[in-house]
Amino acid sequence: MQNQTTIINMNKICKSFPIAVGGVQQVLFDITFTVQSGEFVAIMGPSGSGKSTCMNIVGALDSATSGTYELYGKDITTMSADDLATVRNEYIGFVFQNFNLLPKRTILDNVMLPLMYRGWVMNDRIRRAREMLKLVNLENFETYLPTQLSGGMKQRVAIARALAGNPKLILADEPTGSLDSKMGDEILKFFEKLNRGMGITIIMITHEFEIASFAKRLIHIYDGRITYDGKIPKNEEVLLKSEQRHKK
Amino acid sequence: MTFVDILTESWISISGNKLRSFLTVLGIIIGVMAVVIMVAVGETVQKSISDQFSSLGTNTIVIRAGAARSGGVRTGNRQTLTITDAEQIKRLPDVMAITPAQMGNAQVIYGNKNWATMILGANPDYLTIQNIDIEHGTFFDDTAVKNASTYAIIGPDTATELGLPENPVGEIIRIQNMPFVVIGVMKARGDSAFGSQDDMIIIPVTTLKKRLQGSKFPDSVTMIALKIFPDADNNIVIEQITSLLRQRHRIKDGDEDDFQITDMKQIMETMDTVTGYLKLLLIAIAAVSLLVGSIGIMNMMLTSVAERTREIGIRKAIGARERVIIIQFLSESVMISFIGSMVGLVLGVGLSQGVGRFILGYNVPFSIWPVILSVTVAVVVGLSSGVMPAIKAAKLNPIDSLRYE
Repeated sequence: MQNQTTIINMNKICKSFPIAVGGVQQVLFDITFTVQSGEFVAIMGPSGSGKSTCMNIVGALDSATSGTYELYGKDITTMSADDLATVRNEYIGFVFQNFNLLPKRTILDNVMLPLMYRGWVMNDRIRRAREMLKLVNLENFETYLPTQLSGGMKQRVAIARALAGNPKLILADEPTGSLDSKMGDEILKFFEKLNRGMGITIIMITHEFEIASFAKRLIHIYDGRITYDGKIPKNEEVLLKSEQRHKK
Repeated sequence: MTFVDILTESWISISGNKLRSFLTVLGIIIGVMAVVIMVAVGETVQKSISDQFSSLGTNTIVIRAGAARSGGVRTGNRQTLTITDAEQIKRLPDVMAITPAQMGNAQVIYGNKNWATMILGANPDYLTIQNIDIEHGTFFDDTAVKNASTYAIIGPDTATELGLPENPVGEIIRIQNMPFVVIGVMKARGDSAFGSQDDMIIIPVTTLKKRLQGSKFPDSVTMIALKIFPDADNNIVIEQITSLLRQRHRIKDGDEDDFQITDMKQIMETMDTVTGYLKLLLIAIAAVSLLVGSIGIMNMMLTSVAERTREIGIRKAIGARERVIIIQFLSESVMISFIGSMVGLVLGVGLSQGVGRFILGYNVPFSIWPVILSVTVAVVVGLSSGVMPAIKAAKLNPIDSLRYE
């Protein structure tokens, strides 16, 4: 087994948003967990539980109201917007539910995009993007536009883009949400392959237990609090019980 | 992100909405083209006027008889100047050439054709003062003036109107029924600020006064024109002439001059200032269309930021720094402005040169200013109209942008 290092260290993270009628609404309460390199973690919870807000903070797209967040040992809680952009570019690959590809750019251009912001020269970008497209079995589609591809293919392009910068962490937000079950399974199996075969750490947000069970560890969030953090339970009842305990 | 990346990204974005980009570029094209054409028009007018005055020479001084104003009324037709005045002024050290001059209109007949034209009485120095070239024959000499000879130098238009042969030297024409021998034909000079210089007849001033006009005061003239040496100071010479004429005309101290001195250098400077203001006014009017064009770019860029909110979110999520987003949007607006400016420059120069030279027959001066102006406009308009949308784009929250529908 390879040496594990702590990639994510979240300590008592709270997040509040100002609301229209005045005051603030707290959506995350004392979120504390760590993620080691090579883990495949599912963050699960019902709609409005705060899992997406949690993912935004993990992905350095948003900052916490209080608490500390270390990514690869760096405290990114107080980083500037530009520094966070660099962190995202260097450490994190995003896979979104609705793919978020640039519609007027070719598949190859989309995959090369993070490398452009990293300052790679064009030849290296093309070479790396082609490698990634081959990895997701889309090497024959590099001149296609995203609109010419199926949902599953688009998500594979998004995965190729996420992997292009060789990140240590893939953050997937409902990656199968826009796909049918067959394509969804295909994507999840690909994640398993990336995790097992390449040792890439994956954090996946989902509200479905069946999807979460593809991961090795599950963090369940309910009403902005972690109610379960452990191995994938045998069934969803364990999670429902944890919710009940929290309600009491 | 390299410079080529920036240009590529900008070009892809601009070409993504061709019609809108074209209309925005069109605003800048029209603006720059208008400014370039107006600069050319202004410079052509300025040069044309300047050339016409230059043909007279900046070292030319004209003395007219009569006070400039007397009780609010011009009294320029009084014949207070004399040929003797001119002879006296000629003795001043800085005077290179001088002629008394008298003008009149007369009916001229040649064969069965007649033509009403201006008759100018002068002496041989008029040739030097007005930079006149003779096409055929010669100009009359001092002896002709002394003898009041009936010699005539005719303008090319007059020769045409009278139906004279191509070289009419030796032909007899009748001015007010008095026979004159054509001894010379002037070279064509074109229109001047004072009308056509090609439709006139020059005869000795004494002939005009004594023979044609039968004046009781043959010595008096309405005008004296002189040229001073190029290194002479106009103001000093004018002071000397004023002093001399006041003394000769016995004008008491405090009394008004009975003559009026016009300095071509001053007129030219005044005209230069006037045409300079005219040019500025034309440019200012054209600049308004340029301003409208730049507002068009800003409008397009703001719309573009709104439409591409999600794209901005994606770019930021995968690592685009705020500075990079700003540069990308700024480069788009500068590119639009640059394309518009260059096309506007080419069209403006092409139209002003083409229409000026080939249709209107003017030699439009080519100036480097439109080029400098266009490049400056491209940068300034592009940056100024793009900076606000660019900052707006850069400051977008990546999460909100990614959620944008």
